[in-house]
Amino acid sequence: MSSGHEAREANAPSVIPFGPQHPVLPEPLHFDLLLQDEKVVGAVPQIGYIHRGLELLVEKRDYADYVHVAERICGICSFMHGMGYCEAVEGLLGVAVPDRARFLRTFWCELERAHSHLMWMGLAADAFGFESLFMATWRARELIIDVAEETAGGRVIFGSAIVGGVSKDPSDETLMRCMEALKPARDDIKKLSRVMLQDATVRHRLEGVGVISKEKAYELGAVGPMLRASGYDFDIRRRGYAAYGEVGFETALETAGDCMARAAIRIKEIEQSFSIMEQVVAKMPAGPVSLPIKGMPPVGECFARLEQPRGEVIYYVKSNGSRNLERFRVRTPTFANVPAMVEAMRGASLADVPTIILTIDPCISCTER
Amino acid sequence: MTEKEIQTIDEIEPGRLLPETDALRSAGWRLVQVLCISSPGGSELSYSFGRGLAMKSLRFRALPDDEVPSITSIYPAAFLYENEIRDLFGLRIERIGADWLGKVYDVASGPTGGGGPFSKVTITGPRSEGGTI
Repeated sequence: MSSGHEAREANAPSVIPFGPQHPVLPEPLHFDLLLQDEKVVGAVPQIGYIHRGLELLVEKRDYADYVHVAERICGICSFMHGMGYCEAVEGLLGVAVPDRARFLRTFWCELERAHSHLMWMGLAADAFGFESLFMATWRARELIIDVAEETAGGRVIFGSAIVGGVSKDPSDETLMRCMEALKPARDDIKKLSRVMLQDATVRHRLEGVGVISKEKAYELGAVGPMLRASGYDFDIRRRGYAAYGEVGFETALETAGDCMARAAIRIKEIEQSFSIMEQVVAKMPAGPVSLPIKGMPPVGECFARLEQPRGEVIYYVKSNGSRNLERFRVRTPTFANVPAMVEAMRGASLADVPTIILTIDPCISCTER
Repeated sequence: MTEKEIQTIDEIEPGRLLPETDALRSAGWRLVQVLCISSPGGSELSYSFGRGLAMKSLRFRALPDDEVPSITSIYPAAFLYENEIRDLFGLRIERIGADWLGKVYDVASGPTGGGGPFSKVTITGPRSEGGTI
């Protein structure tokens, strides 16, 4: 063997498999990491370990009953998946849900966003070995889950989204009592957020790691905190669906594009969710919470777009005029964030890969719908 | 802006996919999704692009044996959508930038290279493996 060939062999990148089973990954995701010494020079993602074919199931279920399946696409954004499907079907039917249903939908969306971001914060703390932060974060999250149970009836699957509105109608007094019950969680989260953003060990692990520029994030189709942490102002709630057109909120923005910026976005959005919930409860209109929906959806198609905790999600429904829809499709935020996640790993050290993956907050359950 | 103005769908000839996509990219649109709907006579593909809150889709029909060009040369991030569509619908997509060769879901083709599990295309004879690097 020539010395030139040996030199080329020595310079060839090593391939390190990462996942599908890994301590920081609650769900299966695999990367072939291409390394030069300890530096990542490329990554080839692999999904598909738990694909469930839920989109295909729409052809076998009554369109109104399919909400129960849509809610089970993911256990973290379950309400938003059910609501997104309902919004798409309601667009097909050409119906507008009652005002109180729009406000209740907004309340549950923000409840879900707050608990999702807190879950992420705990998992991130766990990943870099900050166990007490992990436990304190999840303790605060538990109060939010209690409110979900009291208002919607479910702690994981809310079960309150239906085509034409919502199926649960918590009283105004219950909603106000729940906002009071959330105050200790809100105070705790402020303290925990200071630790997350200011602790030297956390900053050492997150600052300057997994940087993605504003231009790259946009070009690669990144969504949600991944996009906003790079300085791009995009939040599909600005479309004003549900009651978002009637509440005030600032889009959370950071510019560094690193893991710390993504953490900061989520922390800002937790407080923003509480503020939106407060406004929704204060403005909650009286009246019915659902419309009677009868008959078949007409032949046609409709897109619906929502802002989930991980970013914009796009639902598509197509009807052939029967009770079973012809096609249902979900473009989930994690699916859109995979190319940007690969880009963020480029140039990072191997030890930082788990942190980078976690700050994208991947939801494989959504992706493998 | 009404919902109809925010979301538009333009029907195009299959041969116009690359130039139309290129023009959208030059105008600042980014790829937000690719959708495939299968029917016995072929597949309908919709490529959706976003700019601000607006969404524009390009749509065309592909016959069972048509080879659809990959748009990864224009939008590299399209590789995930294209690999998924090829695996689930058995569609032939040419020259995908990062080609997983039918291993995204590992369910794509039977021994004769027929359609994927989401495909409704009627296969009348054996087909060759779809996709090239």
